[in-house]
Amino acid sequence: MNVYIGKRMMDALGEANLSKAKVMTTPNHPVRFWIITMMLVLLGLATLKLR
Amino acid sequence: MLLALTQWLAQDVRTFSVFNYITLRAVLAAMTALFITFMLGPFMIRKLTAYKIGQSVRSDGPQTHLIKAGTPTMGGALILVAIGITTLLWGDLHNHYIWVVLLSTLGFGAIGWVDDYRKVVHRNPKGLSARAKMAGQSVLALIVGFYLLQNATTPAHTELIVPFFKTVAIPMAGFAFVLVCYLVIVGSSNAVNLTDGLDGLAIMPVVMVSSALAIFAYVAGHAVFSKYLGIPYIQGASELAVFCAAIAGAGLAFLWFNAYPAEVFMGDVGALALGAALGTVAMIVRQELVLFIMGGVFVLEAVSVMLQVSYFKYTKWKFGTGKRVLLMAPLHHHYEQKGWKETQVVVRFWIITMMLVLLGLATLKLR
Repeated sequence: MNVYIGKRMMDALGEANLSKAKVMTTPNHPVRFWIITMMLVLLGLATLKLR
Repeated sequence: MLLALTQWLAQDVRTFSVFNYITLRAVLAAMTALFITFMLGPFMIRKLTAYKIGQSVRSDGPQTHLIKAGTPTMGGALILVAIGITTLLWGDLHNHYIWVVLLSTLGFGAIGWVDDYRKVVHRNPKGLSARAKMAGQSVLALIVGFYLLQNATTPAHTELIVPFFKTVAIPMAGFAFVLVCYLVIVGSSNAVNLTDGLDGLAIMPVVMVSSALAIFAYVAGHAVFSKYLGIPYIQGASELAVFCAAIAGAGLAFLWFNAYPAEVFMGDVGALALGAALGTVAMIVRQELVLFIMGGVFVLEAVSVMLQVSYFKYTKWKFGTGKRVLLMAPLHHHYEQKGWKETQVVVRFWIITMMLVLLGLATLKLR
């Protein structure tokens, strides 16, 4: 009989929990996600001129 | 430097003329400073750790901070490197305001660097003496004040603009202008330094205030916008938006490493320099009172220390026993003593700064 074992791509879901499971300690990973968002906002604003 | 290159290239390929726009260069400056800080950050932290350049923690401070002893410090040098390179790359190097803010920032950074170096490398807990530090800051602030006064071409360059009042502008004679310049630059430099006591507490408000100052600089240097908004037109001030954006970018990337639990502290080299940078930009764009509003957290932190020390000395002189207004100074330690967690104090102070920055930006229209 074949035994199928489910495997996971990430240690945990969602992305925030993955970061926590990997290396980041709980308090600084929300801040790092905010920083990433701010960078993406900056990129979004750049599209106003870069076209 | 890149501006000169793109202007030369634009003679043959018109597409390159897009780099003449300050708004685009400001966004690119923020991204460049972010990139430099992200790239150099881990390397610098490793080096600082290897050379044992670690923070000493005050023994009379909160007990929860004792575990921070030995965390690498002087990370502010990384911010200054990123800001310096970025401004030289994307700024218009023919603009004298760019050089004023750069030299002021690096000058204050040098004072902070000497202080940090003596503390952590020479193991001298006092670092640079308070008198020597103050003398260095005063000389630099006065040089900036006199330079701006000498280069003021219209009365608007030296008037004290009162927020929320369209027609109220207090003319300042030579001495008054230099005095205000001195107070703003030295005051903001030391206020940011006092605020830098919890992980990420100082750098995020610096990012927010510098982003807002970038907007003020842009409109102050734009003839049409400044006339429409009723603020003084300062020719060439727009270029400071590039410098402010570089601060915001470098600061944001530094926060990545400085967020609780911090991997690195900025030290005096970063705090004194960034405070002076904000003060110098605010003086040039004539928004020192708006800086007072937007940097309200810095102001409160500085006032809390002055109040605590003055009240303690007064009560000791009057009653023989020193009494305190706050549980501990600066203000962020007072809230820690009241039971707030470090991260709560930090994020709540960020939220307050965000509201104050919005209030400051509202002065552009509400007048």
